[in-house]
Amino acid sequence: MELYGAWLENKIDFNGRRRYSSVSIWLPDDRFALEGEKLEREGCKLLAECILRPNAKNGAFDAEITRLMRTELIDSIDSVINDKRSLAGYRGAKIAYEGEPASELIQGTHEQAEQVTPESAYKAYRRMLERGHIEIYASGRSDFAESEKILSEVFTGIDRGKGGEICSLCAKPSALKPQPRYVTENFPMQQAITRMYFKAPDMDDRFANVLLGMILGGMTTSRFFENIREKQSLCYYCSSVTHRLSKELLVYSGIEPQNAERTQAAVFAEIDDVCRNGVTEEELERAKLEVIDGIPAVYDTVGGIANWYMGQLHDEEYITPEEYVEKIRAVTAERVRAVCKMYSPDTIFTLSGEEAGE
Amino acid sequence: MTEKIHSSIIDEDCIKYVHSSGVTVLMCPMAGFSTVTAQFSVRFGSEDNCYIKNGEKITIPDGTAHYLEHKLFESEEKGAFELFAKTGANCNAGTSYDHTVYYFTCTDHFEENLEILLNFVQSPYFTPETVEKERGIIEQEITMYQDSPYWRTIMELLKGVYRENPIKTDIAGTAESIAQITDKILYDVYETFYNPSNMFLCIAGNFDPDSVIEVCERCLKKRDRVNFENVRRPEPPDVVQTRTEIRMPVSKPLFAIGFKRPDADGQAALEEYQYYNALFEIMFESTSDFYNRMRSEGMINNEFSDSVFMGRGYMLPMIVGESDDPDYVLSEIKKEIRAFKAVPPSKETFSRVKKAMYGNGIFGCNNVNGMVGTLTSAALAGLSPFSGHETLAAMNYDGLLEKLFALDEENVCLSVIMPTE
Repeated sequence: MELYGAWLENKIDFNGRRRYSSVSIWLPDDRFALEGEKLEREGCKLLAECILRPNAKNGAFDAEITRLMRTELIDSIDSVINDKRSLAGYRGAKIAYEGEPASELIQGTHEQAEQVTPESAYKAYRRMLERGHIEIYASGRSDFAESEKILSEVFTGIDRGKGGEICSLCAKPSALKPQPRYVTENFPMQQAITRMYFKAPDMDDRFANVLLGMILGGMTTSRFFENIREKQSLCYYCSSVTHRLSKELLVYSGIEPQNAERTQAAVFAEIDDVCRNGVTEEELERAKLEVIDGIPAVYDTVGGIANWYMGQLHDEEYITPEEYVEKIRAVTAERVRAVCKMYSPDTIFTLSGEEAGE
Repeated sequence: MTEKIHSSIIDEDCIKYVHSSGVTVLMCPMAGFSTVTAQFSVRFGSEDNCYIKNGEKITIPDGTAHYLEHKLFESEEKGAFELFAKTGANCNAGTSYDHTVYYFTCTDHFEENLEILLNFVQSPYFTPETVEKERGIIEQEITMYQDSPYWRTIMELLKGVYRENPIKTDIAGTAESIAQITDKILYDVYETFYNPSNMFLCIAGNFDPDSVIEVCERCLKKRDRVNFENVRRPEPPDVVQTRTEIRMPVSKPLFAIGFKRPDADGQAALEEYQYYNALFEIMFESTSDFYNRMRSEGMINNEFSDSVFMGRGYMLPMIVGESDDPDYVLSEIKKEIRAFKAVPPSKETFSRVKKAMYGNGIFGCNNVNGMVGTLTSAALAGLSPFSGHETLAAMNYDGLLEKLFALDEENVCLSVIMPTE
């Protein structure tokens, strides 16, 4: 049966510090089928088949397919050098997240990939099915009763919890370094990219943390954009993002190699200013407005609301978009300042086209 | 005066309204959505670097359209970013080869945001100092792209395919070309190209069309029509080079292959775009024999993909990927095209691919950004708002065969980025 350009998608990613893998199908709603086909039912069956009936026998995946996938996995690991931002992220993470899974690429290392066999891949697949924490999300106009029935039946056949506990979801970030580590690595490129990792192991105010990231470098009226890009013309971009699970603030910027130290000093000065003097009510209001204005959009795309809840896999309880908005509204300038004061520099990494050393 | 345009194919309505200034407004209210996106676009991109105005031929530095886009966000008082920050809207802009677009997305304060958008795009403010300030930032943007092998593969391909077409030059220009840009040049090109009759406002999502008309009536400024004519040197039919190669630090060779086609505009361009998308899907996408054979031979990997690079004055079916032997991949692609010419795809295969494209078309219109992009593309091309879906529905097997036989597999350029030794 034809599924009108439906596509299956699988991906692996980090959520906080834990890797996850997802398999999904995207397809048109049944009402668009030109000949009354039951697209959701057939799509769901196809998805279940892909997950539960892979091309495997006798405890091993097909050898030829495994060989092909291994080659492509190695290609994708090696290709990190093709994209300079990814390369800077990878090299910086190796230092900032030393000892954590996140210090390596999501695909693992070249050496690990070379060790993959049809048997080892199948074993990992079964472990994931039997012991992995599994969540199923569906979004669209349907009530998904039929999908629920199909997936319930297929998962009933799996002996969950076999050979051990269901995988824990708690994530433990690496410790803050006693002294910040400054590293510059060289790579043949014209620009330089600097990534500054700040950690706050005791930070527990996730909503103030979001607004801090916005005020520093998360919007077009942020301090970094206005003061470092617009006023000092030091870079094309200088942005920041905070992660609640890893309790970190990451600042990243593309710069002329000779401007690395000036840019880093400017970033430190802005953070120091927030710690000393706090943020203004105007800054806080802008950040809140920008965050809050974007939240209703999660309801506007088929994957939006699924992604909203999937992003909370590691939280103790789910929070709705509406509750999130209320929590953001309640943040005060003092809470933002308090969060900022909890951050300490951990790693200052620069990937540069110019000769330099640690 | 408004006109309602209905698409029976995707069951959506679009309201068209032409403001007395000449700005064309296309609106698609979408029930059940929270967000609204507005795009204010102008038919002026990096390729528009030579024109005749008042009998005088004017050549402007490469990268002027992009520079102008950066500078329009500033004003004598509060810049656009600062104004949008007070409403929480997310705003940005982009310059391509054939147009520039300014846009915002919001879930609240829509009318206020629309007013900010219309006002800042219509209120240029440049001084020698503000123009100078931007130069360093844009130089760094240019440098950033120079470090991207993916970008460089395409740029080298365009240089290999086109002799005269200005798309062979980077949208942002070069450090040397942008050094020539002054406030006077920016005012002159603004006056010429940012004329209401050359501009389009497209909106999709959760909004009231009457409120849009009210804001337009209040904010859109009438200006005298400016007559200008773009100057294009004729492009020879054949590629400039069949192969280009540069070296960069990459893990394995990257390649891009472009099949040179004559320029097409409007409806003809849209049809060609869709037929070549269908044809390349049949011949080279992940379900094709070619893809699976080459992948199992280890000659390509999952980075292999095809597309049709299309805009005002250019049409280039294209394939990109990674391979240890890009020349071999190209020779196999040529063989595959010849094989399809000898034994064309079946009608059933065409029907399957057409349905898949139809499904993708529905996905594209089931979100606000996809819908507003559809409206803007149609407006800039001078087509009806749902022409993309209508053209797709009208595709037929004979049309596919016609495009297959019109594809010259020898009139190609292969652009390769080899790893640095």
